[in-house]
Amino acid sequence: MASHGIKDQVAIIGMGCTPFGEHWDKGADDMLIDAAHEAYASAGVKQDDIDAFWLGTMGSGVSGLTLSKPLQIDYKPVSRLENMCATGSEAFRNACYAVASGAYDVVMAIGVEKLKDSGYSGLTGSKPPSDGTDSSLTAPATFSLLAPAYAHKNGLDDETMKEVLTRIAWKNHKNGALNPRAQFRKEVAKETIAGSPLVAGPLGIFDCSGVSDGSAAAVIVRAEDAHRYTDKPLYVKALSFSSGPATGALDPSYDYTTFREVRASAEEAYKQAGIDDPRSQIAMAEVHDCFTPTELVLMEDLGFAEEGTAWKEALNGAFDLDGDLPVNPDGGLKSFGHPIGASGLRMLFECWLQLRGEAPPERQIESDKTLGLTHNLGGQPGACVSFVSVVGSELG
Amino acid sequence: MKLPAKAPEPNSENTPFFDGARQGRLVLPRCGDCGFVIWFPRQICPECSSQDVSWFEASGKGSIYSCTVTRRIPGGWGKVTPFVLAYVELEEGPRVMTNIVDCDPEHVSIGDRVEAVFEEATNRDGESGPPLLRFRVREG
Repeated sequence: MASHGIKDQVAIIGMGCTPFGEHWDKGADDMLIDAAHEAYASAGVKQDDIDAFWLGTMGSGVSGLTLSKPLQIDYKPVSRLENMCATGSEAFRNACYAVASGAYDVVMAIGVEKLKDSGYSGLTGSKPPSDGTDSSLTAPATFSLLAPAYAHKNGLDDETMKEVLTRIAWKNHKNGALNPRAQFRKEVAKETIAGSPLVAGPLGIFDCSGVSDGSAAAVIVRAEDAHRYTDKPLYVKALSFSSGPATGALDPSYDYTTFREVRASAEEAYKQAGIDDPRSQIAMAEVHDCFTPTELVLMEDLGFAEEGTAWKEALNGAFDLDGDLPVNPDGGLKSFGHPIGASGLRMLFECWLQLRGEAPPERQIESDKTLGLTHNLGGQPGACVSFVSVVGSELG
Repeated sequence: MKLPAKAPEPNSENTPFFDGARQGRLVLPRCGDCGFVIWFPRQICPECSSQDVSWFEASGKGSIYSCTVTRRIPGGWGKVTPFVLAYVELEEGPRVMTNIVDCDPEHVSIGDRVEAVFEEATNRDGESGPPLLRFRVREG
């Protein structure tokens, strides 16, 4: 009984990603068509060449029909998956396994979310009716609990902690300003971020990711077939997933300074990819910065910074676009936006551009390293699911 | 302003807790085998799986382990912002997610000593139900 991974068995040969944002003129159908056709063109395939589809969406539809109807797919298999905010990554993971198994030659993973125009800004609840005992806990409130916990554990005063969080939002806005597909494409001054209206705890509006519409897609084949389609495939090195017991809120030993699920999925991914020092071996990472303290804590959970040092590294610019290990070079959830089902594939899209040297020149990372990492989280501190992928531009 | 209070629906596993709540008493389960004080109330120990569970009246006192002031939230809760959501660590050990009431949200902080209050709650038909466990800052 063991997890084996599928290192170098499958490859991405084409990707597509719509602009993320408030698309008042587009429904989920329109965005799925845009992302799928951009991916077909990128891979040099036609829709008829795709043998099977994996669709990730949290709330923009149920069943494979959500995809097969707008794309007018001719009686091919379409699976619809949901795994909270890690939904897009889950579609990708399962599509990769289907190719690795030998069941299909060419598959598509695609994710979509339509959050605007629903009459409600943000995620609508999909839980069963309450028995009245649940608490008044919003997503920003639950993630805001990371901030005092991290500050206390590492001896930071409130002012320094706010400066760290502000620095992370500032960095991701700066990166997003270089990304024509991002929802927020402006640099924002640190004073503006720090002075923005508070939402929950120390988190202001600029500490929160964008609520947006969008879709992203990937075409995947066996690694040995990849060069029939492109000279620059992206090989899948690792795919890991961790779903926790969700006991954090009831567990006095859980202190809100870490995501145990992230540590488990990172360890597994590094084992699959053969990575022993992610900080020095990875060229760039896309991580789940749903709120600024999440990105801070992730730097330690993913092994990018020593325990207790991520705040210093963030302040010193280690994760900036021109830093030691660029994190969220496309602006992340913060600036690119967070259409739930699409986000995991959007992260892979940035790896696709960066590792192939096809990012816009103003944000292209110059590196001799060939690996990129994506990290996608669903849920909240103490009760979450976590996905990590490692992709690379070379075999071996 | 009173926070929204939707009445819980007790079941056979937590009756002593809600019977106590109706009398303004915090009644908690304790494991007869390992001594663990159990939260949320139920008839089985999450530490050792023993079903030898007995009920006792707790002090109702504790301190704030962490808290967050919510300022933006949709629905009925949006009418009572800012309000305080907190983890309260009870003297008997368990950590309870709850709201701090009767307070100035700008002046509630980690480490504040608190005590249990039971707030009236109504069900969806507008009838009164078991009260909700919340906390207020304790003087002295």
